[in-house]
Amino acid sequence: MSTPVFLKVLIANRGEIAVRIMRTLREMGIGTVAVFSDADRTSLHVRMADEAAWVGPSPSAESYLRIDRILDAARHHRAEAIHPGYGFLSENADFAAACEAAGIAFIGPSADSIRRMGSKTAARQMAIAAGAPVVPGAHDVLSGPAEARTFAREFGYPLLLKAVAGGGGKGMRRVDSDAELDSAFRDASSEAERSFKNPDLYVEKLIERPRHVEIQLLGDRHGHMIHFGERECSIQRRHQKVMEECPSPLVAARPGMREAMGEAAIRVARSAGYYNAGTVEFLVDAAGNFYFLEMNTRLQVEHPITELVTGHDLVRLQLEVAAGEPLRLQQRDIAWCGSAIECRVYAEDPYNNFFPSPGKLTRLTRPLGPGIRLDGCVYEGWTVPIDYDPLLAKLAVWSESRDESIARMLRALREYDVAGIHTNITFFRQILEDAEFRAGRLHTRFVDEFLERRQPFTAPEGLESIARLVAEFHAKHNGARREAEAPPQRSRWLQSGRLEALR
Amino acid sequence: MSDPTGPEIVTVEPGVYSVLLNGRSYEARVEDGDDCVIVFIDGHRFEIEIQDPRRWSRRAGRRGVEGRLNIAAPMPGKVVRVLVAQGDTVEAGQGLLVVEAMKMQNEMKAPKAGRVVSLTAREGATVAAGEVLAAIE
Repeated sequence: MSTPVFLKVLIANRGEIAVRIMRTLREMGIGTVAVFSDADRTSLHVRMADEAAWVGPSPSAESYLRIDRILDAARHHRAEAIHPGYGFLSENADFAAACEAAGIAFIGPSADSIRRMGSKTAARQMAIAAGAPVVPGAHDVLSGPAEARTFAREFGYPLLLKAVAGGGGKGMRRVDSDAELDSAFRDASSEAERSFKNPDLYVEKLIERPRHVEIQLLGDRHGHMIHFGERECSIQRRHQKVMEECPSPLVAARPGMREAMGEAAIRVARSAGYYNAGTVEFLVDAAGNFYFLEMNTRLQVEHPITELVTGHDLVRLQLEVAAGEPLRLQQRDIAWCGSAIECRVYAEDPYNNFFPSPGKLTRLTRPLGPGIRLDGCVYEGWTVPIDYDPLLAKLAVWSESRDESIARMLRALREYDVAGIHTNITFFRQILEDAEFRAGRLHTRFVDEFLERRQPFTAPEGLESIARLVAEFHAKHNGARREAEAPPQRSRWLQSGRLEALR
Repeated sequence: MSDPTGPEIVTVEPGVYSVLLNGRSYEARVEDGDDCVIVFIDGHRFEIEIQDPRRWSRRAGRRGVEGRLNIAAPMPGKVVRVLVAQGDTVEAGQGLLVVEAMKMQNEMKAPKAGRVVSLTAREGATVAAGEVLAAIE
């Protein structure tokens, strides 16, 4: 076996992504260092690691976001590199710079690239300069409706008037024709004046029912960069992706589209001197036109579906290029095989407006069998902390075709049992049964529209009578014993408060 | 039951039952709820009330639209905003306070019109699930 690229790597993260990164490190023969806050002492990433360092109290601002403490831990444990995962410090340019200054490799792009892609407007300018399509718009202040009319003649209706100082939909108007333009301009401008004390407007082409499609990139520090194709992430709730798939049903149906998007993404990333893994996000309209949205300068949550379809381990490649090695793959080495879908399983209650549902997992049965990949961080008896994102696991499946992957995901979700807390597992089953979803007619408002048309998750005839039998059986055999054994109800907060006092 | 042998129920794991009925196999998972037993079969959820006065009577009748109504935290979290003061008159559905957990803010609303007779919630305080934060009469 050849010498590993690093001897020891610290993972500056928690939860499923810390576990996922550790798995590759272990396969590569690299030592693993976990960091943890008070809330995470018993979390899986700490249990799995070779070494672990406490970095502070539960709030992430006092632990996982503390650059000084994470670097101290890395030095103390003699880690040669730091993987930031996603979230927390992963897109923090100061952290990347501090790692390099401390002589520790940051497994990601340069601080400079993170900074340049961090501002949406600067990134848009960079995309324009690199010749990548952006949503057509004049981000300068409009002098009046006439200027918007000129824009409409070039790019067509519908268009969107937006307040320069805007936010939250205030001072925003959709315009479908010349006739509507004057009054829409007046309304938007006065609303902007009332809301922001600034009547200035700009104009943008309105992309109707856009899809969110992103391109996975990976480059080395010697100027070589390739793409790993797209992921479709249009299934979102409150602007958060909840379900992703690869390939995108739209892109798969259009020859040449993947290559065109891939090349555009590479051009933008190159112009920022980008290396390591990154993702370029595009809005895509129904006709297949794509527009640059932004670049995420880190490993994405949904990277496993790309790994399933291309067969490459992106974390392994990240480590190799972070160590300065040339990327050993050429574009022609990347091939896409079959179809993968991922569901983000959250501790939340789909029967109660998706409220977070932290608490103790009393029972856990995981889906197994052909084509299943489960990236999780939970175990039976673990308490989901209230302090962080309630993502429990990412369930991904692979199969030969999209239809088979949908069937496989439904099968896997039926096997998945989590008790003690609520999860969104049944919500995914309903989406996967939805005719619009099955037809691949996806867009970013899909979930909102789905929630309006969805039928209650109704049980087949006769199931309720079986439930009654079981309930009676359970009460008869468990009721008396439970009553005798049940400890008095106590507040968990009170208990942890007492433990704190005893330390 | 038409099946001469009747349903066969076996405990396979704590809280998990295997049911054989008319040649069909079902797996049921059970959780104890507040006033009921919650049974899950193939992802379908059934709340079944148990008619056993020894077990459940002490919980009965604790809630009603008449009289005093307690507002309890639905999940552990932190009170980020208190929107009313003790003694205020509130409409049904009016926001009383905001509790944050897992980066999500959740506005607790008045379940009925009335007067805020008790308000123990303080901004910044950590609360447990079920902890009473206010009462309306």
